[in-house]
Amino acid sequence: MAAIGHGRKPIVERILEPAEAVKKIQGLPQVPIRSQIANEVIGISYGFFSPLEGFMNSADVDSVCKKMRLASGVVWSIPIVFDMSDAEIGKYGITPGKSVVLTYMGNPMALFEVEEIFTYDKKEMAQAIYGTTEDKHPGCARTYKYAEKFIGGKITLVNRPKINEPYGPYFITPLEMRKKFEERGWKRIVAHQTRNVPHTGHEWLMKGAWSQTYAELPIDKPYVGVLVNAIIGEKRKGDYIDEAIILTQDELRKSGYFGDHNHLTSLTFWDMRYAGPKEAVFHSILRTNLGLTHHMFGRDHAGVGTYYGAYDAHNLLATIQDELDITPVYSMNWLYCPHCGEVTSEGLCNHKSEWQKFSGTLIRSIVDDGVKPPRLIFRPEVFDLVMECAEKYGFGSPFVTDEYLEKRTPVFSIEPLKA
Amino acid sequence: MSEGKYPINLWVNEERYAKLQAAGLADMCKEAMAGLKVIYVYANDAQKDKILQVIPQAKFDSATTKSIELIPRKQKDKIFDLVIQKKSIDVLDDFLKTF
Ligand SMILES: [Zn+2]
Repeated sequence: MAAIGHGRKPIVERILEPAEAVKKIQGLPQVPIRSQIANEVIGISYGFFSPLEGFMNSADVDSVCKKMRLASGVVWSIPIVFDMSDAEIGKYGITPGKSVVLTYMGNPMALFEVEEIFTYDKKEMAQAIYGTTEDKHPGCARTYKYAEKFIGGKITLVNRPKINEPYGPYFITPLEMRKKFEERGWKRIVAHQTRNVPHTGHEWLMKGAWSQTYAELPIDKPYVGVLVNAIIGEKRKGDYIDEAIILTQDELRKSGYFGDHNHLTSLTFWDMRYAGPKEAVFHSILRTNLGLTHHMFGRDHAGVGTYYGAYDAHNLLATIQDELDITPVYSMNWLYCPHCGEVTSEGLCNHKSEWQKFSGTLIRSIVDDGVKPPRLIFRPEVFDLVMECAEKYGFGSPFVTDEYLEKRTPVFSIEPLKA
Repeated sequence: MSEGKYPINLWVNEERYAKLQAAGLADMCKEAMAGLKVIYVYANDAQKDKILQVIPQAKFDSATTKSIELIPRKQKDKIFDLVIQKKSIDVLDDFLKTF
């Protein structure tokens, strides 16, 4: 059975085997790319971004900005563009109709069949996608940093990325993902989007979403799984390091808070745009391509600052629900109630005046003060692993520092291409 | 609008608890989050703004806890020592004078 992705299109990997790849790229101009573009090349090639086959041309960009759709009519919310300065276009001889080879870390990564060179008003793009043109919005800032021209054309991977440890087990492509679900017998899978080390508030969000997703299914066997899909991309100082995020998420399964029967951790390469509602639509698309049936959304999903209302994403999703093959699962927050003596949902407990809300930041302050957070709000196995990751990967800190940015092991590498 | 009241959570580790006991102030601790000891020092609007200004790492968690977080340990130790010295949680003006 074909794997069907977003827009009800079959997922097709755009990847050449090495022998053919070597021939195909012989003599082509080599164009180095930065990490954002490399992340998106992977997204396109393996079908994470299906039905995209390459970087968008002007018709798609314009349609995405104005109608939240590709030119074909399929829902799409964020432009996936390849930018380049006029000087570089001249230097590499970029011409519509001619192919170039994109290189990353000095080695060939993908074939880029250039179809179109165009411009697009960046302010218009920012306003359309982010609802603001303020450059302090990180998505707008990213848009304004694009070089003056955009280049549209198809992408084919010529060299599979080598996923470095400890990330190896977590890079699961859309086609592989479906096999994993089948092996486990899951009929419904709910996505948990994260860029965090989990506290029990997150854990209960997942447990609550599992329950919501389970609904009327029989209970003779485990039929529902939670897929943690960590977004791995550009890091900012003070974020948790990637190793700590991915390993602690998986630790919830290993330590028995979940199990193999209901929990799987994976990653997707993507530089967050913080586009709030538009990012929620993008996440729905991404997880549809991963073969999921349900997607968790909390309040202010993928938002930043005060740009979006708490329910803007939910409202936007509702307008296109018929065209998305993934069902949103809305989550209320979990908190500690000393009266109940447990972590509970704000939708359940009524001891409002006694509630103690907690967040990742609050837990960080507990740790900073030299106190071990109690297991009801932060699992000891997670705590120990965070500390271990700090030593092993973080140069002493579980949070991103200048030293980490400079010396960390990249999540993936592109190695020399050998036929 | 009423005056804001924003807690700084001084989480009481063993060392801090020993100091509190020595000063006879152990009962200043409140219990939070299933077994943690904490002293809440409250900032008003002006104090909150000043703290965020003089301690650039500090962050007001407006989304969830409405508390002032990520104040470096050294600065929190200073606040804690002032609490012991004055036997009171009303210490932020004194703390801010040191900047
Ligand atoms: Zn309660």
